[in-house]
Amino acid sequence: MAADPTGGELESFLAERADRLMRTAVLLTGSHDAGQDLLQTALERLIRHWRRIDGDREGYLLRTLYNLATDGYRRRGRLQRKLLLLKTETQRPADPMAEVDLRDALVRILLQLPVRQRAVLVLRYWEGLTEAETAAVLGWPEGTVKSTSARGLRRLRELADGWGGEHNHGRADAALAHVRLRGQHA
Amino acid sequence: MNTDVEDLLRDGMERFTENVRAPAGLAREAGRLHRRRVAVRAALAGSAATVVAVSAAIAVITAAGATAGRTQAQTVADLTRQVRQAVAGDDMVYAGSTNGTDGPNMVWAYGGQSRWVEYWPDTDFRNRIVSGQRLWDFPPQDRGLAYSAEGTARVGGTLMGAYVIYPDRRYSLSRQVPTQDSACTTTGALEMGGPAVVGVNWKSFIDEMLACGAASATGRVRVNGAETTKITGKPVTVRLSPGYSKVVRADWVTVRWTLYVNPKTYLPVRIAGSTETYGGSAGASLSSEMTNVRWLPPTKANIAKTLVTIPAGFHRVSPGDA
Repeated sequence: MAADPTGGELESFLAERADRLMRTAVLLTGSHDAGQDLLQTALERLIRHWRRIDGDREGYLLRTLYNLATDGYRRRGRLQRKLLLLKTETQRPADPMAEVDLRDALVRILLQLPVRQRAVLVLRYWEGLTEAETAAVLGWPEGTVKSTSARGLRRLRELADGWGGEHNHGRADAALAHVRLRGQHA
Repeated sequence: MNTDVEDLLRDGMERFTENVRAPAGLAREAGRLHRRRVAVRAALAGSAATVVAVSAAIAVITAAGATAGRTQAQTVADLTRQVRQAVAGDDMVYAGSTNGTDGPNMVWAYGGQSRWVEYWPDTDFRNRIVSGQRLWDFPPQDRGLAYSAEGTARVGGTLMGAYVIYPDRRYSLSRQVPTQDSACTTTGALEMGGPAVVGVNWKSFIDEMLACGAASATGRVRVNGAETTKITGKPVTVRLSPGYSKVVRADWVTVRWTLYVNPKTYLPVRIAGSTETYGGSAGASLSSEMTNVRWLPPTKANIAKTLVTIPAGFHRVSPGDA
């Protein structure tokens, strides 16, 4: 067997952090399988550069994860992106009267956003980073983070509008309408 | 977006992923991806950078103790001619069993079909130190089990490249079918230092190597009690690519290999290869592989062994992600 260039450190690190990283990867990609592929690709890159990363290897891994996601590391084609959207569509409740939690609806909408917008929102609201910290992770100017975030949120509201229009029954829609109303005053 | 929705979005993301768990062996799999990349492809990528003309003289070992230069030349010429003539009709199934520093594996090949299965080592490598580095860990209960299969599969009648990882129950398919590069190329010669030789038409392969000088017939030795003709590859040394060089802390790699062929059929019965990295802070590190080859009749059952089968219930992922 070949040598482990991390000297076992990666195993120890993953014992503590793997589940959280996996959840992040799933949020970035929208599915368990794609999330696993993304995380493994990022880990392989971490191993490759292990010795030249000084200090914050977790930070490097996080940056790699997000940058791979935003770079479209899987070179997902138009058809696959469309399939992802279709898959997301099918995850909507067949029965508009079904109880759909607004939280679930927001995540479904989040997964329909372009990946750069999604990555910014995941960093901001899942990782809890500030705009400046988000900019540092992605290696973008802070202004780009702000504008991308704003576009993502605007898109979220637009999609939420569509969701509410199609499903104007039930608790989720009422809640979305409430959100839109409040958003206009935010 | 107001604070309520931020909180709702956070809650939604928590809920969406609350049952998500990282699969076991994530580090191991990433390590394997890494090893596959650096040990086979990345190292070879460096070959384009600097190919060093290795002036290592290949000792010509003569058959039956002949010593005169003229006799040596004649013997080598005879062996070369015999090999080139004899491998003309190798309509047999190749079954290679390899043991080496990368663990055991098996290769079955016939025509353009091949199946290369890697197994976990059947001995415990945990915490074993080689060249100052700890060898990669793996679950002890997996000892001796198949880890992955790579080669060709028939999908709807079409031959496709296939790769299966058994512990993860995943597979990928691609249009690219694995083949062995000619040993006349630097890449092909470097590949000869590794465990798998797949998709080889041995007639043209040996023919080509002898013709271009990438290998020479160098004598006769006994393997497993039977006499064989030894064909020695010309050692190849390349400077490693900068990325790989940092990983293994070495600047150079030298690959050496030898074929031992049956003197009657002139089909290979043993392939030995070694890859040595050196010239960096890690010092010299040598990995070696020894493949014993059996040639089986091309029965339906034997040919079936040369195809990768995808177990039921495995899910497909993109090539490169499996």
